[in-house]
Amino acid sequence: MSKNVEQTIKDLMSVVLNLNAAKIDDRTSVDNTPGWDSANQINLILALEEEFSISFDVSEFELMVSFKEIVKAVKAKI
Amino acid sequence: MTDHRASIKANLESGAVQAAMQDARLLLQQQPSLINFKFMRQLVDQLPPGAPGLKPYKVALISSFSIEFIHDSLIAYGFVNGLRVDIYQPGFGQINQAMLDPGSALYAFAPDVTILAIEGEDWLPEIYTSFMDADATATDLGAVVARFRQQLAALVTSFRAATSSPLLVHNLAQPRLRRAGISDWRLPNGQASMVADLNHAIAEVLADVVDVHMVDYAALVSQFGVKNWYDSRMRLYAKAPIANGMLGNLALEYMKYFRALGGLTKKCLVLDLDNTLWGGVVGEDGVEGIQLGANYPGSAFVEFQRVVLDLYRRGVILAIASKNNPADVDAVFNNHKFMLLRKEYFAELQIHWEPKSESLKRIAKQLSIGLEHMVFADDNPAECEQVRRELPMLSVIHLPSRPELYADALSAEGLFDTLALSDEDRRRGQLYQQRAQAQTMLSASGNLEDYYRDLAMELTIARVDQTSLARAAQLTQKTNQFNLTTIRYSEAELAKRMADPDWIAITVSVRDRFGDNGIVGVMMARADADGLDIDTFLLSCRVIGRAVESAMLAHLCDAAQARGLTKLYGKVIPTDKNVPSRDLFDKHGFSKQSEDAHGMTSWALDLTCNPVRLPDWFKLPG
Repeated sequence: MSKNVEQTIKDLMSVVLNLNAAKIDDRTSVDNTPGWDSANQINLILALEEEFSISFDVSEFELMVSFKEIVKAVKAKI
Repeated sequence: MTDHRASIKANLESGAVQAAMQDARLLLQQQPSLINFKFMRQLVDQLPPGAPGLKPYKVALISSFSIEFIHDSLIAYGFVNGLRVDIYQPGFGQINQAMLDPGSALYAFAPDVTILAIEGEDWLPEIYTSFMDADATATDLGAVVARFRQQLAALVTSFRAATSSPLLVHNLAQPRLRRAGISDWRLPNGQASMVADLNHAIAEVLADVVDVHMVDYAALVSQFGVKNWYDSRMRLYAKAPIANGMLGNLALEYMKYFRALGGLTKKCLVLDLDNTLWGGVVGEDGVEGIQLGANYPGSAFVEFQRVVLDLYRRGVILAIASKNNPADVDAVFNNHKFMLLRKEYFAELQIHWEPKSESLKRIAKQLSIGLEHMVFADDNPAECEQVRRELPMLSVIHLPSRPELYADALSAEGLFDTLALSDEDRRRGQLYQQRAQAQTMLSASGNLEDYYRDLAMELTIARVDQTSLARAAQLTQKTNQFNLTTIRYSEAELAKRMADPDWIAITVSVRDRFGDNGIVGVMMARADADGLDIDTFLLSCRVIGRAVESAMLAHLCDAAQARGLTKLYGKVIPTDKNVPSRDLFDKHGFSKQSEDAHGMTSWALDLTCNPVRLPDWFKLPG
């Protein structure tokens, strides 16, 4: 993979949540990001699945609510 | 991929919308992913209202399940097709509230198209879910079909009473699993046969209502396979049963309808020859050496030719753009026994060594077809790229590296699909041959009037009726060049005009010594206090340049006078395409009344002093 995982995730989040990728960091979460609603939570997970060819359980959906947790969840699968 | 994205952005910023559409088409072909759909949606959202080159298109989505995850792909593919899609969607399960109440938000939205998307599980749990609970003799299951038919008919008729806009209705996919296992087929009302009955009922109900069309969802799901199509996780968690990776395919299926409804259907397919219609290069390998025949890879090229032949039989105009020696090509047409496509099926052949973009321009001119209605298919990436760059309004199909994939590549997008096949469509191939013969005659006879006389044209002018309604509406949707106002009518809207005593709606058919051209003209006019006001006046490009328009105006003069009216009024709304029709009124003695800031002109003719007369070379039967 040419880009590192963190950067790829930032790029996906920036498109799905309509954010500036440069401003995404470990503190970025559902609580401080207005566009991060339940539909976009699903969109984000589906986009991650597509990008990394992985699949998440529904039980994991609700844990992936910050950039930090998402990186952790993705790295556990690739 | 990033290159395409950057180039879409750059093209949009510089106003090159068609080039951006080309890039978007490539991006989504190579990677139809959620992230690319979202990227495209955000670009479209940022465009100013009324951005040039895109037609606003309002889509209402009514569904029995959660369908909102399709929005991004609908907007993205809409952009590829020149549409700026705006979506209205009530909550799922709001089908009855939305469609039965004439005051509903659905009708207030005034959609250009409405889609009714249903999953059997939601609407017919007796058959899809709790099937095994029913009595084994299953007389009650027969009643389920009857009740479903009634419900659907009520929805469709209420919809049609409330609006004249088109409606698309899904049929039903087969259940994900057979509840009775391998014995389903033995049951008097097994699941498989029940679903077949239901789909038959859907087709019957829809066929009775004007401008309502079926989306063959069952065929679409089976094409990709039930296991790929659905995501049970999302079905149970979010009531969104369709898998993320499949939503784009459903959006592409809807695009076929949007194009057909919006007059964006492609009309002409231009093909390369070497490594396209056959394998190898005829100039080097000779007629005997090319790959075309019973064994692979020749069999793959035969299969591709069969798909092209189907398109010809459906009324698509075929042409060739090939870098070759004409004599080599003739040798293949004349002597190769596996050539399914005959030379006479091609309305125009450009066989020389000049750039393909040049060949395509000449074909467009010869056949009077807009480049935006043409598709070019070639195996050579350089040729495809050259055409894309020079002619961004044209659709290019780059044939894949393996010939067994050609047929799918040509059919996948359904670029040539129409909502119905008319007799005119089925005979179009012959019509273009006749046209070529007539043009040869014009250059031989020299004088225009002699040419008209030689053509021995017979006109049939008739009121639009049930048998001609579909063709008349199709002409208003498809005709661009000889069209004074370019007002598009759906069948339902045209039917209203047809029934209104203040309106006349007329079709014109032309037969000449080369054969019957079928219905080629439509006129609509409304009677007001002292005159007949022309609303629509159009002529298929097939018969432009034969003074048929003079005969049509003469008929309108007669029709006005028969109603005791003394004036004929008309207007010309200029478009990029309708240059050939703009001088119609001027040439026929009308006087210009006014011109507005957009170049729209209004005209009037006083019938008491100079009505238009029927040119004497036309024969009117009866």
